[in-house]
Amino acid sequence: MPQLNFLLKIFLWFSVRHLRRHLGRALVVLFGIALGAAVFTSVRLSVHASLQSFTRSMDFFAGTADKVLVRPGGHVPEGVLPVLLAHPAVKEFSPLLTTYVRVHPAKGGAFLLVGIDPLLDQPFRSWRLRGGRTEIAERWLDLIREPKTVILTEPLSREIDTVAGARITLDHSRNRAEFRVAGVLVPEGLALVEGGRVALTDIATFQEFTGLFGLVDRIDLRLRPKTSPAQLEDLARKLPEEIEIRSPSAARDSGSAMIRAYQLNLSVLSFASLFVGMFLVYSLVALNAASRRRELAILRALGASPRLLFNLFLAEGALFGVCGWLLAIPLGSVLVKYLLHTVSQTISTLFVRVHVEGLLLSPAEVAVSFGVTLCVAVAAAFQPARDAMRVPPKEAMEIAHTGRLRRRMAGRLAAWAAGCLLACVPLALLPGVAGVPLPGYLAILLLFVGSALMAPWLLEHLGRAVSPGLRRLAGTPAYLAGRYLRDSGARTSISVGALITAVALFTALVVMIHSFRQTVELWVRQTVSGDLFVTTKMGQVNRFQFPIPAEIVDNLREAGSYADLVPSRRYPLAYGDFPYEFEAMGMEPFLKHGGFVWLQGEAAEVQPRLVAGEGLLISEVFANRTGLEPGDTFRAWIEGSRVELPVAGVIRDYRTDGGVVFYSWDHFKERFHDPQWSGVRFYFRDRSGDIDVQTAALRELLIGRWGDRLDMISGKDLREAVLRIFDETFAITSVLLLIALSVAALGITTTMTVLVLERTRQLNTLLAVGASSRQVRAMICWEAGFLVTAGELAGLLCGFVLSYLLVYVINRQSFGWTFLYTVDWGVLALSAPLIVLTALAAALPAVRTALREPPAMLLRER
Amino acid sequence: MDPTDSIDMMDPTPQPLIIARGLTRSYPLGDGAVIGINAVNLMVAAGEMVVLKGNSGSGKSTLLSLLAGLDRPTGGELVVAGHSLSGAGGVDLTRYRREVVGMVFQSFNLLPTLDVLENVCLPALLAEKPAEPVRNKALELLDWLGLRNRLHHTPAQLSGGEMQRTAIARALINDPALILADEPTGNLDSRNGRIVIDLLSELNRRSGRTVVVATHSDLADDLATVRIRLQDGALADPPCHS
Ligand SMILES: Nc1ncnc2c1ncn2[C@@H]1O[C@H](COP(=O)(O)OP(=O)(O)O)[C@@H](O)[C@H]1O
Ligand SMILES: [Mg+2]
Repeated sequence: MPQLNFLLKIFLWFSVRHLRRHLGRALVVLFGIALGAAVFTSVRLSVHASLQSFTRSMDFFAGTADKVLVRPGGHVPEGVLPVLLAHPAVKEFSPLLTTYVRVHPAKGGAFLLVGIDPLLDQPFRSWRLRGGRTEIAERWLDLIREPKTVILTEPLSREIDTVAGARITLDHSRNRAEFRVAGVLVPEGLALVEGGRVALTDIATFQEFTGLFGLVDRIDLRLRPKTSPAQLEDLARKLPEEIEIRSPSAARDSGSAMIRAYQLNLSVLSFASLFVGMFLVYSLVALNAASRRRELAILRALGASPRLLFNLFLAEGALFGVCGWLLAIPLGSVLVKYLLHTVSQTISTLFVRVHVEGLLLSPAEVAVSFGVTLCVAVAAAFQPARDAMRVPPKEAMEIAHTGRLRRRMAGRLAAWAAGCLLACVPLALLPGVAGVPLPGYLAILLLFVGSALMAPWLLEHLGRAVSPGLRRLAGTPAYLAGRYLRDSGARTSISVGALITAVALFTALVVMIHSFRQTVELWVRQTVSGDLFVTTKMGQVNRFQFPIPAEIVDNLREAGSYADLVPSRRYPLAYGDFPYEFEAMGMEPFLKHGGFVWLQGEAAEVQPRLVAGEGLLISEVFANRTGLEPGDTFRAWIEGSRVELPVAGVIRDYRTDGGVVFYSWDHFKERFHDPQWSGVRFYFRDRSGDIDVQTAALRELLIGRWGDRLDMISGKDLREAVLRIFDETFAITSVLLLIALSVAALGITTTMTVLVLERTRQLNTLLAVGASSRQVRAMICWEAGFLVTAGELAGLLCGFVLSYLLVYVINRQSFGWTFLYTVDWGVLALSAPLIVLTALAAALPAVRTALREPPAMLLRER
Repeated sequence: MDPTDSIDMMDPTPQPLIIARGLTRSYPLGDGAVIGINAVNLMVAAGEMVVLKGNSGSGKSTLLSLLAGLDRPTGGELVVAGHSLSGAGGVDLTRYRREVVGMVFQSFNLLPTLDVLENVCLPALLAEKPAEPVRNKALELLDWLGLRNRLHHTPAQLSGGEMQRTAIARALINDPALILADEPTGNLDSRNGRIVIDLLSELNRRSGRTVVVATHSDLADDLATVRIRLQDGALADPPCHS
């Protein structure tokens, strides 16, 4: 304890006073690290809020069930209920149906209608009506006694502007009907599902409304205590073969796994700002250590232990960490306002529906943010602290200020750098850990560290290569700048390291996003081709569960005289825990107009097999997640049919909520059962006329006839919507990138200033021996120019490697897809002069600092 | 102020190289000011070897920095070799430093990233003189100073005496009329100190350059042609000619 007290006192005397004297510099660094911490924290908190609301909603919805019965791709017949009733393992059960509905005339968005048997469901889910005791009992009974009654949550009743006792009309894929609002739910339990956007109805009413007589989505089970696995197996045997017994948390787990993967990716990206901020802390602490060598030597001579000096500088780093984190709180609270909404929006469109009510300050997240910031700052101070510790006390007696140059250090660092860079290769080849590309991220970290360590060697060689020619070409200042950088060693390379990181990140993201977008455009053009897409009302939000009724299909077929129809039926299924969609599709007309983006297999060879129904296609994501390859057999239960087919090829597909499997609709019907149509797309045969006009005409026709039973979108609008979602998704990425770049710009500014401050004596010597202020300014600008050129070159190189890692390792492991690698040379070429200009602008404060005091200080001995 | 401290007392025959009238440099500090030098009147003829003495803090370095054009006076007038330094702009001062003075410091102030030859050539290159003749001249100077075998060593690899001789070569490369040295022996042992002072004196005698040396050692006393004592920023007694 007294030791700590002593350290604190020395820290105040020695370090804090020094920092206070140079407050401007300290504040810039503080701002940099605070910005990094703010971005990191607010990104994590925003995704965490979505994750929390998602899991909470899923948990309330799952209730207390131990197991869930489902029938993949279809509905569970109520015929299995007697089996459950009779089985000794089953204690209680509750059948359940859900679908999304909308109020008619449209008011507010779609919400979840849940059909339950209120009596059977009691042990599973908690929900409570608002009102007095007898009143509640009455309304509760109404739900069973009286057909066409619903119970709404409070926020929902407010949104659609209704009260208990009123009547509302609900729209559904199949039907439209009037309901009486029997009551309003207290916001707890089931009423909190989907952010409160739920309504309850009796199961019989639900079945009548949706036409699913005798069918339910799933049956939740509670087992008797001490049910053995053998008893469960017995239950499975007594049930029809196509019925699966699943864990109730499967949907929650796969959903939260997707959000977590997204959180990790954003965390890593936002960590880049913090990482660049680390260079800032390093450069300032290193300056303090280097410029105070003499003081350190004196302290040592007076009896300070090396440990004390080490701790002093480490404490300086910690001070930056703690203060930076505190400063990050106000910064972060501004950022989080923007991110909270954008992130939940993105997660909803990409992965699973989430409804974020507000920010939850999770103690764990706050601790992570504080810990990471502190660690980063302390780690940044480590090397300067070690240097400080090694200052020999005899330096207190030396007078010459020749600045020791450590030769051969560049070579040693380069060897380390080469080691780091080489280690990336095996790491990139390792598989992810539980779907998380940890080795990939480690490879990225090593790539950054390696390039930063390479910087001194790079500068030395760049300086050596260019400085002789430079004197003739650009005069003495350029020559001096080259010579200085050649020998400046670790100090300059740190700022180059920060620049390399930022440029690399920029390059890699430009390449990745460009490749991604180009590939998605290709995919959209080919696989999402078609002039008009038609599905049942709310087909999309209800995941195409409800086929288009036969009379409408017959009518739609009439368009066959002038358009090719590609019918499809999409089944949401799961392969183990991995969600995917099985799509039976009119293969022949589809291949005539559109096509797939092939990854494995030759179109010419595979397409005939597809049309003949001899095989199916799996998406890259599906292949990566399941390990299936061309030649393997795909097996699944679909609506009571056992589907077993060989995999004919692998294609690229960029739907975000899982994989996809394509098979011929006609052959599905022939071999298994009639899948009906959940949707259809039209391709006009006459491509010479204006497609938009034809589309509009067909659309008018269909709306006139089936307007309230079908949803339609023109192919053009759909493709535009897909690309718009794509661009919106990367809006966050761009914001994070910009912040990282600004922190790097701050880094160059401080480093340049530090480089100048460190050399005040040398610069003044130059002035004293006849340099003009213009020459000194030119020299500093040349130095900045060299740093930036070196950083830009190495950053570009590093960026290409990084983009490769992002496309082929990180994306593959966390989302399961890769893209066609293309480089957007235009943007990269444009960015180069911009980065150079920014960096030179960042050198301005340094130039001003350099000439602030008259060179007479040379004559003052320290 | 000493009433005898007047310009008339000096020998006016050769064209005076340095003329200072009421030369003052004070440093603002809070509400008051710290005096560097105060109302110094001085006239030095070309070709003198001036030794500036005085206790630490008496204003020697301040006076030299004004003479070197490294700083501007806060009061009075200073004319050196026809250049008026009192109101000179940055460009004029740069030209003055290139053409008129050469400077030697106590702590050498060599650039650590340049080798000996490059350090010596630097002032001429900054003055944008052609490289080849400059190099030859530097080699000549280094030869004379006995540093021929040190051309490509960096300052860190030199001894104190070698560093100061390099600094002297550097001061000479532009052929200045005036050489200023602030405590040039302060960081050297007595043998090397002697060598440096002898070199400065030789420069004065052989090529008739004016040399001003600030020092509180006695090494230079017998070589001086003019001795000036500073005390609390003012001349302690009239300049003493020998
Ligand atoms: N930059 C400065 N700021 C404040 N005071 C200064 C500065 N330079 C010199 N002084 C003061 O001017 C006086 C003369 O200093 P200096 O010329 O260095 O003396 P000397 O070289 O004779 O030891 C001293 O009192 C010193 O404190
Ligand atoms: Mg002095």
